Amino acid sequence: MASVHEIHLCGTDRAHAERAAHDAIADVKRIEAKYSRYRDDSITSAINRAAGYEAVAIDDETASLLRYADRCHALSNGSFDITSGVLRRVWDFKRQPPRVPSQDEIDALRPLIGWQHVEWSDDHVRLPERGMELDFGGIGKEYAADRAATICRERGIAHALVNLGGDVRAIGSRADGSPWRIGIRHPRNADATIATITLDDEAVATSGDYERYFELDGCRYCHLLDPRTGMPADHWQSASVVAPLAILAGSYATIAMLACDRAPAFLRAQRVRFLLVDKEGAQIASH
Amino acid sequence: MAATSGATFAATRTESPKASSERSAALILAALALPGILPAAALAQSAPDERVIALRYYDYRDWQPGVDRMSVKSPSLYAFVPLSDSLTVEGSLVYDSVSGASPLYHDAVSGASGRGIGDYRSAADAKVTKYFGGSSLAVGAAYSHEQDYISRAASVEWRTWSDDRNRTYAIGFGAAKDRINAVEGVNAPVLDQPRETYDYLLGITQVLDAASVVESSVTWSDGRGYFSDPYKLHDARPNHRRIFAWLTHYNRYFAAPGATLQLGYRYLDDSFGDRSHMLEASWVQALPYGLTLTPTIRYLTQAAAHFYRDPPFPQGFVPGGLYTADERLSAFGAVTLGLRVAKELPHRLTIDVAFNAYRQRGDWRLGGDGSPGLAKLSARWIEFGLAKRF
Repeated sequence: MASVHEIHLCGTDRAHAERAAHDAIADVKRIEAKYSRYRDDSITSAINRAAGYEAVAIDDETASLLRYADRCHALSNGSFDITSGVLRRVWDFKRQPPRVPSQDEIDALRPLIGWQHVEWSDDHVRLPERGMELDFGGIGKEYAADRAATICRERGIAHALVNLGGDVRAIGSRADGSPWRIGIRHPRNADATIATITLDDEAVATSGDYERYFELDGCRYCHLLDPRTGMPADHWQSASVVAPLAILAGSYATIAMLACDRAPAFLRAQRVRFLLVDKEGAQIASH
Repeated sequence: MAATSGATFAATRTESPKASSERSAALILAALALPGILPAAALAQSAPDERVIALRYYDYRDWQPGVDRMSVKSPSLYAFVPLSDSLTVEGSLVYDSVSGASPLYHDAVSGASGRGIGDYRSAADAKVTKYFGGSSLAVGAAYSHEQDYISRAASVEWRTWSDDRNRTYAIGFGAAKDRINAVEGVNAPVLDQPRETYDYLLGITQVLDAASVVESSVTWSDGRGYFSDPYKLHDARPNHRRIFAWLTHYNRYFAAPGATLQLGYRYLDDSFGDRSHMLEASWVQALPYGLTLTPTIRYLTQAAAHFYRDPPFPQGFVPGGLYTADERLSAFGAVTLGLRVAKELPHRLTIDVAFNAYRQRGDWRLGGDGSPGLAKLSARWIEFGLAKRF
């Protein structure tokens, strides 16, 4: 989670706020350590190391996250897939000069992609193919934001804002009763915003094609890869979604980015507020 | 590529809206089932998890023009310890030393009444609270001992919260058994006189919005036994006392100044006749450097007990009848002005100092005449506190 994380607490005394913030930050770090694919001692690494071999025992928290990922996979018709991270082996967004992988390279990875092939239960998970990988990156940060918010609330904090790298979860309103105001980043200008949305006990998450990408021959190739095609999402510049929980907002935004022209209908069906920015920079909002 | 993935989605367009909405609901349920997503309150109430230890020192003095009356110095110790996620224990110890004298009758301080209400008092209380899903049960006990007086009390209180924790209901019951042994009573030795009091409480706390909360409770107290003051001449009070009290507090937070307004009202109806209204307002202002400044103003207006007789003493006294000249049971109005300064220190230490000044006058009463002929009564109390949380 290499991004800016911040927690704003207000309407309480400093010592109380510091204690709540301390507990919330400790939990964010715990989740980061537990699910990071960059750490050898994480559960994610343990599951991935055992791919093709034995099942790995998991705790209730991990089983709950797998169940959530399973429901995301079903709702998105397979576009939201926590096994799709292996596509990064052929899509290198840091490579200079950039290159688009060949269809053969993508096809070679296909046997390793597909949540429907994963064997999982409440206490075990097994990846059937050697080389398969799970990646909680698409839900871990949002889950951590929701948990941090709950920790603050349980400590009696009535007004707070948890921002984990742009995934923002609000607790209550601001201390004066007015809603929190969150700026939505311009997808093509990091210093500008295109809109301001209000949050009252809700969360907002944005998925965009500007986070990791390269451009080649006038085409932008971003890090949001569709596991069904192996190709990057290219219909929207960004999707911002307001939902009751950060984890829902984040999942809806990701699914919308991969849903092409079906994104507005998909988001309306979820009854959430959203702001989509299309390829030309035109905005489509929920109302 | 857009065509490719668009085709994938096109292939699913035939699914029914019902199936789609079931999938949406399944995702939301899976999100809500994640551990730590819903506040514990909605599942089960857990206990506060912070230990507190606090020391306080209280110094009280009252006087009338030209005459110092009583002074009380009182150190106390309080501790709060969570034993588990659902069990807490708290308790306090207090030691009062009393010097000076309470008036023999209306306001004359006589050497003979120098015993006042006792030279010292030591008291201890403890309370255990168990938290269940959405409710808590607290059981308490208290013991207080003076040279001429012993009190034992027990209480039980049940609280329950709404799922969103915006409303709390409380119901409580308490019982106290006291014993009075004033060998040096001015009228006659008072030997082994009992007193039993039962208290009942009903309360509600409602969060009105993000910045304000109101709390209201009614208490009913029914006491039987010895209520007279053994150190006041001719003092003879009823042996049955019922007190009804209604308390309401309203707190509102103001973000711009970073302050909280606290308003309080108490109505008290005592079967002795000393019905009273009390109004209180505090402004809790947060300041830089961890300072909090709290000015308070309080006004009390009280009717006299029906057996209170005005000076000159012992006018109105009939042997065998009810009688008191106790100024605290006269009709009066009283104003308290207070100022508290608190500062947060490193290591989760808080220190606070408070000064309160009290003035009582017969003619400050509202809603009726005050008792005439009494000397003005003044009091002040100073408090020092030190609390550590960990």
